[in-house]
Amino acid sequence: MHALSAHLKRSKGDFTLDIKVDFIQGITGVFGPSGAGKTTLMHLLVGLENPDQGYVKIEETILVDTFKNICEPTRNRKIGYVFQEGRLFPHMSVRKNLLFATKYIPKGQQVIEFEELVNLLELNNLLEKRPKQLSGGEKQRVAIGRALLSSPKLLLMDEPFSSLDVKLRRQIIPYLIKINRKFNIPMLVVSHDLPDLLSLTRELFLLKKGRVVGHGTYLDLLEQENMFELMRGGGLMNVIPFKVEKHDKKDGLTILSNKSASETISMEREMELDCCQIGDYVNLSLRPEDIALSLEKILNISIRNQLPGTIVKIIQQDSRNYCLVDVGFKLLVSITHASLLKMELAENKKVWCLFKSMALQTNF
Amino acid sequence: MEDWYVFSEAEMSAIGLSFKVALWCAILVLPIATLIGWWLARKNFRGKAFIEGFINLPLVLPPVATGFILLLLLGTKGLIGHWLNELFGIRIAFTYYAALIASMIVSFPLAVRAIRLSIEMVDPGFEEAAKTLGASTFQSFIRVSLPLALPGIISGFILSFARSLGEFGATIIFAGNISGETQTIPLALFNQIQMPGMESSAFRLLLVAVLFSFLAMAFSEYLVKKLHRSN
Repeated sequence: MHALSAHLKRSKGDFTLDIKVDFIQGITGVFGPSGAGKTTLMHLLVGLENPDQGYVKIEETILVDTFKNICEPTRNRKIGYVFQEGRLFPHMSVRKNLLFATKYIPKGQQVIEFEELVNLLELNNLLEKRPKQLSGGEKQRVAIGRALLSSPKLLLMDEPFSSLDVKLRRQIIPYLIKINRKFNIPMLVVSHDLPDLLSLTRELFLLKKGRVVGHGTYLDLLEQENMFELMRGGGLMNVIPFKVEKHDKKDGLTILSNKSASETISMEREMELDCCQIGDYVNLSLRPEDIALSLEKILNISIRNQLPGTIVKIIQQDSRNYCLVDVGFKLLVSITHASLLKMELAENKKVWCLFKSMALQTNF
Repeated sequence: MEDWYVFSEAEMSAIGLSFKVALWCAILVLPIATLIGWWLARKNFRGKAFIEGFINLPLVLPPVATGFILLLLLGTKGLIGHWLNELFGIRIAFTYYAALIASMIVSFPLAVRAIRLSIEMVDPGFEEAAKTLGASTFQSFIRVSLPLALPGIISGFILSFARSLGEFGATIIFAGNISGETQTIPLALFNQIQMPGMESSAFRLLLVAVLFSFLAMAFSEYLVKKLHRSN
C-alpha cells in the first residue's frame, strides 16, 4: 500500500508541472534546483493550489481526482505541512500554536499525545513563549510539533533547513529521524541542499523544470549521466549507514560498525550519538574529497580505514574527476586529472579507498 | 436667566439620541464591514473594482445626495419603501431607524477601508497554515486573521461611531429634524444656530460634539497602541 501516490499536472504561464510520485514508507527526499516546482508540488498535494489534471491518494483515500471531480479541501486532507518559514501564529503562545489543530480532531482520534510530543521535541521550556521570542531552530521544532498534533497521515516539509543557519540546520535532523521512527508517519522532505537531505534519507526524487527526472536511491542515481550533473549543484556526499553497536557509558563513546563493506568498518564516536538506540542505523556522511585512492594496501600509515574495491565508473565533469568505487557499497571519490592519468585508473580496475574515521560526519 | 452650562431637555435628548444612534450604527456596521473588508482583502474576482466603487460611493457623494437616494428607495413612496409599507405597514423614513440607516450608510465605507487595510497587512500564509491544520476558511479567519487585524477592526468600529456622531446631510433629508426622534447633535446645533438668541445652547452642543469626537479618537489611538504593544 502506498503512503502517497499522486500524478499532478498544472500550468502556470511558461511553467508546466507534470509530476508522478509514489512512495511506501519512511522518509523520502525531493531534490531539485530552485524553480524545479518543489513548492508547487507541495501546494498541490496539500490543496493550497489545485491541479489542472491528476489525482492524489493517501493510503486508499482519494483526495483529488480531476476525472471524478473529487477535490477535498485542505482542511480535510490530513496532510501535515511544515512551511519553509514556519508560519507560527504570532498572537498565540507556543502552547496554543501546538494545540491549534486539536480542536478539529474528534476525541479519541488524536494519534500523538501532547505531552509525548513536547518531550520528544524538547519544547517544555518554550510553551508559554511567543513565536517572536524563539530562535530559528526552536521555531522550526514548534512548527513540526504543530503539524504533528493535527494527526496527519503524511508529513510534508518544505525546505526545513533553509531558514536555519549552518550550525542549527543539522540539529533538526535527529528530531526528524526520531519522529519518523516513533510515530511511523511517512515524510516527504523538500530541499535544494543534497547533504542535508542525504542525512535524512537516501530515497530521492529528482525534480527539474517541473518533471521527475530521476527516482531511486542516491547511489543508483549517481551512476546516471544526467543525474550527476543535476545533483552536483546541490553538493555531493557519500552517505554510509552504520549500526550502533554499543554505548560505552564509562568512556563516553559509541561504537559503530558497517559490515556491508569489503572490510568491516568500525569506529568509536563520542556521546553525540546517545539519542540512538543500540541496533539503530545512523547515516554518516563522507565527502568525496576526503577519500584517497591507492593501488595497493598501505601498511605503515595512520589511516585505518582501507577498503578494497573496483572502479565502477569514471565520471569527468568540467575540470573535476570522480571515481565511483564499489567497496561493497558504492563510494564516490574525487580525484585530480593528474592522478587519474598517473595511476592509469580505468573502469574495472582494483583500487583501495582510504579515509580517516574522523572524516565521517554525523551531521548532528 | 439660566446658567450657560445647564442643558435643556431638548439638548439632553439630542445628546442621548446621538450617542444611541452612533453606538448602534458602529455595532451593526462592524460585522458587515469586517466580512466585506476580508472579502475585498483576500479575494480577487471580476468586477471587484465596480463593487469597491459602489461601497465607497457614500464617501465622495454629498451626504445630502445619499439622503435623497435613501429617500427615493426607502421613503413611504419609494421603490422599496412603498412595498414595505403596503405589505407590512413598516415606515422607515422620518423615524429613528432612518437616522440609524443614514448613519450606517455613510460610515460603512470608512469602516470597510480601515478593516480591509488591516486584514491586507496580515500575511495570508497564516490562514493557509490554519487550513492545513484542519480549520475551515471561516475558522481560520476567526482564529488567526481576525485577532491579528484587531487594531484595524477596532479603529473601524470607532471611525464609524465618530462618523455617525457627525452625520448631518443624509440624516436631515432621510430622517428629518424631529426633536426626540431624529434630532441628533448636529441637527440640533443647526437649529440653534439658525435661531437668534440661542447662542448659549449652540455653544453647549458644540462643546459636547468636540468632546465626544475627541474622546472617540483618543480612545481609538489608545487601543491601537495597546494592541500593537501586546502583539
